[in-house]
Amino acid sequence: MLRDITLGQYYPVDSPVHRLDPRTKILMTVGFVVAVFLVTELWGYLVVLAFLALAIYLSRLPIKMMLRSIRPLRILLIFTFVLNLFFGAGGRELLRWGFVVIRDEGLNNAVHFSLRLVFLVVGSSILTLTTAPVTLTDGIEKLASPLKRIGFPAHEMAMMMTIALRFIPTLTEEADKIMKAQTARGADFTSGNLKQRATAMIPLLVPLFVSAFRRAGDLAMAMEARCYHGGEGRTRLHVLKFGAADFSALAAVGLLIFLTVLQRRVM
Amino acid sequence: MPIVLENLGHTYQVGSPFQATAIQNISLTIADGELLALIGHTGSGKSTLAQHLNALLTPTTGRVLLDGQDINLSDASKKAARFHVGLVFQYPEHQLFEETVIKDIGFGPRNMGLSQDEIDARVQDAMDMVGLPYDEIGHKSPFELSGGQMRRVALAGVLAMRPRILVLDEPTAGLDPHARDFLLQDVKRLHSEGTTVVMVSHSMDDVARLATRVVVLERGELAMSGPPREIFSQVERLTAMGLDVPAVSQLAHGLRAEGLEIPNCYLMEEMVDALERLLKGGAPDVA
Repeated sequence: MLRDITLGQYYPVDSPVHRLDPRTKILMTVGFVVAVFLVTELWGYLVVLAFLALAIYLSRLPIKMMLRSIRPLRILLIFTFVLNLFFGAGGRELLRWGFVVIRDEGLNNAVHFSLRLVFLVVGSSILTLTTAPVTLTDGIEKLASPLKRIGFPAHEMAMMMTIALRFIPTLTEEADKIMKAQTARGADFTSGNLKQRATAMIPLLVPLFVSAFRRAGDLAMAMEARCYHGGEGRTRLHVLKFGAADFSALAAVGLLIFLTVLQRRVM
Repeated sequence: MPIVLENLGHTYQVGSPFQATAIQNISLTIADGELLALIGHTGSGKSTLAQHLNALLTPTTGRVLLDGQDINLSDASKKAARFHVGLVFQYPEHQLFEETVIKDIGFGPRNMGLSQDEIDARVQDAMDMVGLPYDEIGHKSPFELSGGQMRRVALAGVLAMRPRILVLDEPTAGLDPHARDFLLQDVKRLHSEGTTVVMVSHSMDDVARLATRVVVLERGELAMSGPPREIFSQVERLTAMGLDVPAVSQLAHGLRAEGLEIPNCYLMEEMVDALERLLKGGAPDVA
């Protein structure tokens, strides 16, 4: 019943992008976002597009997957485009039809915002499609570790994220089982009005919470039994290391940002 | 009131990269009054099969007939099937949720839309059946009870619906020997009082003690079906499937391999008789 929920979107193939250090990919994504916002001229997006196309090509992700990541955005995209198009206040009047007025600034904004939205979503989904969730938290922990000096609990945050991610499939399975067990006793989760449905969730939620607490207790015990005492002095099985590929990837993003800045100067 | 499985098959997540066929081509009739044990290796499809018996899973192929009626025809027929066929899941104590034992056991009957008097009567009855003292623990929270008691509360929760067919998925998993004996006695009594029982189990000794018929699944298909004596005599075949045989069958098999004249048996009493006869009757020389 609940099996169809997939966690994250990690698409497991072997590619140069998959092999990059997660820190590189996070920094690249940030750099890419900056570059997208630096673009002021429509032709500037061609540079961004070229960069994105190269990344997709190298990551061996099927184009279908990329398009699917935009799909949930359709409504938002249309909204953004339409709102900007009709409510752009300044600029030359292009079209007037009844009370609808389209001005060139509105059109300009509509195109810009929609393109940005698409680029942002596609760009960041490359990160989640090519990086396993646990690797991603490793990268976040490493990137955030300089903040430890000002008291930011980077290791604890990453550990919490990892555990949370680890338990989503477990709890999903558990919820599925409890749901079936209660259905076997005649519970009905799918019909009735809002109040009836909310009440029907109690036989599912109570056992699920009980089980989540039981699992949390067990896990804490198991971690303590193996002498877990936080991040202090802890070594890792997979040590993150920057390689030549990481440096060239970062250089590529650097170049992208340089080009977009240049584009602003030229105009 | 037989259940008939016609060419039953189930595939999980059809059309996704995780597509997996759990069972296929299963045709089986579960007659009234049987105590059918369903055995098989982990992943052989036992639980999947069990969940088809009360329409929790809808077959990908084939049909499930109860009294000659397809139970998957409509939502109403599915719901009706669930009141006739009670399914007790693995670790059923994890499904308890109410404030008191009485309310929890009454959940099924409440969903059947029975009157409060009828519900009370059924709850009391069900608690009697599984040997839980109504006055003593009825008003306690189910979460205060021991593991064995919690499991009996969960069992009572299904029995209170008075199913004519009871399906138990690994009923003794994780219980201590005492609680396990107690639970198996409950099952035996229910069966002797006329309930048809289907029991999924890993424990061959439990199966040997109770079952009137054993069905063996292998990789989602029906591999063997017959009375326990017949099934448990095929020690090699079961072992090849990665299954245990009851301790007594194992012993009989071993002794026969050593040249002793021990008949096929799987019950402790039979083994004792056979050994006694052998010893009194002047056993052949054993080196």
